[in-house]
Amino acid sequence: MVTVVSLLTPLLVVTVGVGVVAALLAWRERDEPGGKPLVAMLGGQIWWTVTLIFKIQAETLGGKLFWTNVSWVGVVLIPVAWLLFALEYTGRDEYLRWRYVAALMVVPCVTIVIALGGYSDLIYVENHIVTAYGAVLLVRDPGPWFWVIAGYTYLMGFLGSIPLFELIRSDALPFRGQSAALLVGTLAPLVGNALYVAGAVPVPGLDPTPIAFAVSGVAYLGALTRFQLLGTSPSPNWRARRLVFERMQEGALVVDRHDSVVDMNERAGEMFGVSRDVLGDPVRSLVPGYDRLDGADQEGVTVEIGETTYDVTSSEIRDFHDRHLGRVLTFHDIDEYVRQQQRLEVLNRVFRHNIRTETNIIDGYAGLLGDGSGEAQKVRESAMRIAETGEKARRIIEVFERGRGATESAALTDIVSKRTASARSEHPDVDIEVESVADVRVSGVLEHVVGNLIENAAEHNDAPDPRVEVRTEAGEGDVEIVVADNGPGIDANERAVLERGSERPLDHASGLGLWLVTWGVDIAGGDVSFTDNHPRGSVVTVTVPTLSE
Amino acid sequence: MSHETPAVTERPSGTWYRNLGATLLWNARRARDVLVYSSAYLAIIAAAQVVLATSVLPLGTTLAPAVVGLVTFAVYVTDRVADAETDAAAVPDQAAFASKHGDILYVAACLAYGLAVSLALLGGPMALAITLLPGAFWVVYAADWLPGGELGIRRLKDVFLLNSTVVALAWAVTLVFLPLAFAARTVTPGVAVVFCYFFLRVFSNTELPNIRDMAADREIGVRTIPTVVGVHRTRQVLYALDLLTAALVASAVVAGYLPVASLALLVGVVYSTVVVSRVGRGADVDRLTTAAECEFLVTLVVLLVIV
Repeated sequence: MVTVVSLLTPLLVVTVGVGVVAALLAWRERDEPGGKPLVAMLGGQIWWTVTLIFKIQAETLGGKLFWTNVSWVGVVLIPVAWLLFALEYTGRDEYLRWRYVAALMVVPCVTIVIALGGYSDLIYVENHIVTAYGAVLLVRDPGPWFWVIAGYTYLMGFLGSIPLFELIRSDALPFRGQSAALLVGTLAPLVGNALYVAGAVPVPGLDPTPIAFAVSGVAYLGALTRFQLLGTSPSPNWRARRLVFERMQEGALVVDRHDSVVDMNERAGEMFGVSRDVLGDPVRSLVPGYDRLDGADQEGVTVEIGETTYDVTSSEIRDFHDRHLGRVLTFHDIDEYVRQQQRLEVLNRVFRHNIRTETNIIDGYAGLLGDGSGEAQKVRESAMRIAETGEKARRIIEVFERGRGATESAALTDIVSKRTASARSEHPDVDIEVESVADVRVSGVLEHVVGNLIENAAEHNDAPDPRVEVRTEAGEGDVEIVVADNGPGIDANERAVLERGSERPLDHASGLGLWLVTWGVDIAGGDVSFTDNHPRGSVVTVTVPTLSE
Repeated sequence: MSHETPAVTERPSGTWYRNLGATLLWNARRARDVLVYSSAYLAIIAAAQVVLATSVLPLGTTLAPAVVGLVTFAVYVTDRVADAETDAAAVPDQAAFASKHGDILYVAACLAYGLAVSLALLGGPMALAITLLPGAFWVVYAADWLPGGELGIRRLKDVFLLNSTVVALAWAVTLVFLPLAFAARTVTPGVAVVFCYFFLRVFSNTELPNIRDMAADREIGVRTIPTVVGVHRTRQVLYALDLLTAALVASAVVAGYLPVASLALLVGVVYSTVVVSRVGRGADVDRLTTAAECEFLVTLVVLLVIV
């Protein structure tokens, strides 16, 4: 008659085979993080299963007692190896030092001495043979040390599972798969053992833990082969996050919910001129103007520390239940940025006042030379071109300043109508046609961009019937502004320079107008493209995001 | 055996039925490559050796031949994959095969060893222990992970005479005592004779390929009989081993420790002597090595014919 016990031996034999294969595959990767502890754990499982097979096969009480006592060598190895594996595999290898391993092995070694040294009555107080399910089985009643080692095993199992549970939520599929397979492989025998300890196993004296190792073996094999366990390891992640925090160029402070500094990186220490002794101090004693950072996530607050200006970003830290835990403050050095801003302000003044004044003087004195002088006229025209260049440079600086501040929105209809009217008044001989204008709002920077495009198209148009067309089309979240003309077109080299974004001594744009367009569109968060018009002229297409009021 | 036909041969182009002959030849060569370079043929020979031991003693039918075949395959495949780099000079085709298919060969070896251990469990604790023996010996013999440098321990593979002795001892124990464990029989004088027979034969067969590996062994500092005494003296040593084996078998039959049919073992010894006589006399050492390894197949056939 086929009984549960008679099926047990083939099942355990298969379990050993699977375990051996998994152990040998892991042995090949033994130099990878967690490799050696995994081999040790699988070795412990194989040993326990093998001794159970021989215990079942043994026909005498002495034989069964022998294999039970010998089995403890593998039994006690498993929980320690599991914990060491979990620690090393997840990058916490600082705990894998000989003194820690030796400390963890104290209880297992004592257990082995008790089991093999003739003190097994501390583990089992009563031994007797029963016949059940057609087999002769050994039933043992647990002694005091049994509960010690059982508790120790469950503690190790629990501690080892903690870092792996963290990986279950990993973004990387292999790590989720690895950790899930490992947890299944560990929980299966733990559940089997818990049933045995609770007396819920119907077969007397049978600890089903080794049977569950069949599940473990398959799970570990799956982790090794399907999810590249020991081939792709998350062990660097633990240190990588810390490394990024420590080595980032910005200073960073971690502040708890009571506004005390609880962590800081090296750069923050240099910035504030303090050591890690300040951990635990109130952040207000370190960061001037900290009270201005009252929002959950806040950017754009500047503080002065020493002679340096920093842009401070505050990022709130919340727990799983969305409760406020603290915040991370990052300090970005904007001294160079502030200096550039000061230089731009000086240049703006020079373009706005000095150049315009000087070209007006040149124009005036050239006018005094008399209307009949061709040279005087050339001087006046050159002075006007200098004044125009200065005006465009001034507009560019204005665009940059607008881009630095908060984005101001403007109605596209207002921009187009205003700049079209201006161009019509300056170039009355050019036919400027506006087909339709979308009713959307865009960055205020676009006023200069659109104005420059229409003005350029009209000013440089040499066609007998000069014509400029303006049309817009709103899309989902953006708008397309097209300015087309029938003028001479934009030179291919000039387009290439604009696309490249930089000039060379012999390879540059003809002026500042198209740079203004390119940079302005960039600040508005859009794109610009230049194509040929047919039969003549150019088409400039600007695509920018639309804004709310 | 390997130098005449490259390990990687080109597959015939065009429709298979138009090139039936070429396709069959190509597949046959591939099969031979797999059989030879993966050491699968050694597994077959090892299983034949166990059948030989079982028949001579006699012990009846057991799972021992299958277990030994699987263990042999696992150990030799692992060894070839691990040593592919150092074997490149001596056996380039085999090393190239082992390097190219290293991953799949290792997985196959793991599966073979797992199956062997599972089958051995059915033979009891002694059968399991003996099955684990070749693997354990291999680790001690070849592994470089032992802290030998610090403790003054050298790899056994590098120690003169001890290397071949360990190999011969491991295989003799496995070939004789595994079927004995499966059959639950005790050690007799006949068992001891068969043990000595296999020890001598395996020792001889281990030193033969060392002639081929002389240059590579000298380069990496491994001392073997050929590297120490030269080819001519090695041939004399192998003759002596053949003579010793023949004397042992004949004495055992005369003394009644082995059945008369065991004289078939002498045919194998004669065969071996013929193979050894070609050593260092222009014959391809690879072919001689394979021929020597097939000694047990010849012996088994003769024995089965007699019995």
